[in-house]
Amino acid sequence: MDVTPRYLGAGSFLSRRDPRVLLLVPVLHLAAVAGIDDLRPVLACTAVALLYYRAAGIPWRGVRANWTFMLTFTTLLVIVNSVLTPADTRSWGSVLFTVPLAHTDVTWATLSYAATILVRYVSLAMVGFPVAFAIAPADFGVAFARLGLSQRLAYGVDLTFRFLPSTWASLRETVDAQRLRGYEHSRSRNPVKRLLTLRPVVVPVTVNALVDAEDTVNAMDLRAFGGRHRTWMRELAFDRADLLVLGGFAAMAAAMLVARILGLTQTVWVP
Amino acid sequence: MSAATARRGPLLEISSRTVVYGAVGAALYAVLGLFSFLIPGTQYVAVRPAFALVPFFGKRFGVIAGFFVGFVGNIVIDLIQGGGLTYWNWSVANGLVGAVAGLIFAYLPPIANEVLRLVVTALGAVAATAIGLLFVITDIPLQGIDFNTFLTLNYGPALLADAAAVVVLTPALDAIWEPLSKRAGR
Repeated sequence: MDVTPRYLGAGSFLSRRDPRVLLLVPVLHLAAVAGIDDLRPVLACTAVALLYYRAAGIPWRGVRANWTFMLTFTTLLVIVNSVLTPADTRSWGSVLFTVPLAHTDVTWATLSYAATILVRYVSLAMVGFPVAFAIAPADFGVAFARLGLSQRLAYGVDLTFRFLPSTWASLRETVDAQRLRGYEHSRSRNPVKRLLTLRPVVVPVTVNALVDAEDTVNAMDLRAFGGRHRTWMRELAFDRADLLVLGGFAAMAAAMLVARILGLTQTVWVP
Repeated sequence: MSAATARRGPLLEISSRTVVYGAVGAALYAVLGLFSFLIPGTQYVAVRPAFALVPFFGKRFGVIAGFFVGFVGNIVIDLIQGGGLTYWNWSVANGLVGAVAGLIFAYLPPIANEVLRLVVTALGAVAATAIGLLFVITDIPLQGIDFNTFLTLNYGPALLADAAAVVVLTPALDAIWEPLSKRAGR
């Protein structure tokens, strides 16, 4: 399994943007699609999200597994939450069928609303994937710092990504070492027993990481970390394209918010 | 001010120690959090053993480090697995678990008896999990679900699975870290 950040969208239109754009767009998109019950405006927002996603230039082969996981998980979630146990207010109209065991009446309104939720999640994933795959890993820290996060915590985000490969290597080493001592992962159906058998892996990996972290703390203290305002190697500045992208999503969020206030998007659409 | 609070300094201090331990914890949570298993007899209640790290870091390294581990760690898991930022409210809930654990243990007096300390650690971690995960009530407006669905299908199963992980693993981590932290003067 590859746990290191993958910069799959390198060289694309979005990867050339200020990384703050890629962090702000999901927030604006969430503001646009949240709380909308009508499938049609959500589809319109999803079309915009699709264009945005295409601009990230993320190769399908690289994220096929991610999309499979995301779609499977979200579909199951929507079926359980919105079809099998829908709120009464969205069960109006003629009953198409009744779910066995759950005894839930499924109507066109139920299905339309479930589709709205599913499409909303897919559109959020479309604007979220570029954060994972089209921002250079080294740019996360400076981007968060320039968005107003504490300089120290922004550096913490940077450090997290740098620690990922070594933590993964440490996990593999520990599992191998414990196997040589006879460790076997439990296949028991008892969850407590399975958790207990994980202790020989989780505990040493955690303690080793914490002991090693002390060296990093000392090194940072010796360099007076946090003593003065931190500067970053990468200078960030919005250019015209950045402002256009942000302005476009901000306008869409504002338009959807106004439509929501006017009550234009609160009714479940039934074809 | 209790001895525990005095040892840690200001509750919301962001020192180099907070930053590094927060980052180490988030990386650990992200890597170990990729592994989970289903509780037999349920369709989708998955136990994520690494969740035990969140209250552990909250207890040992404070409110900020605890929040950082839960929030950033869960986001990194989502980024690796493919969820993106779609389930951002669950990341906030994870962060709140760490923060609440930091708060609870900051105001508890030090306990000399080891067995009692481990029991209190487990109970405090479960309480932090129960309180922090309440933030997923935001699923009601975000997913358009009703309160019963939230309680029985979202919050309840998540609490059950995470509580199992923290009861078993958080005291185990704490028991190992206690002598090490004393030896290092932390």
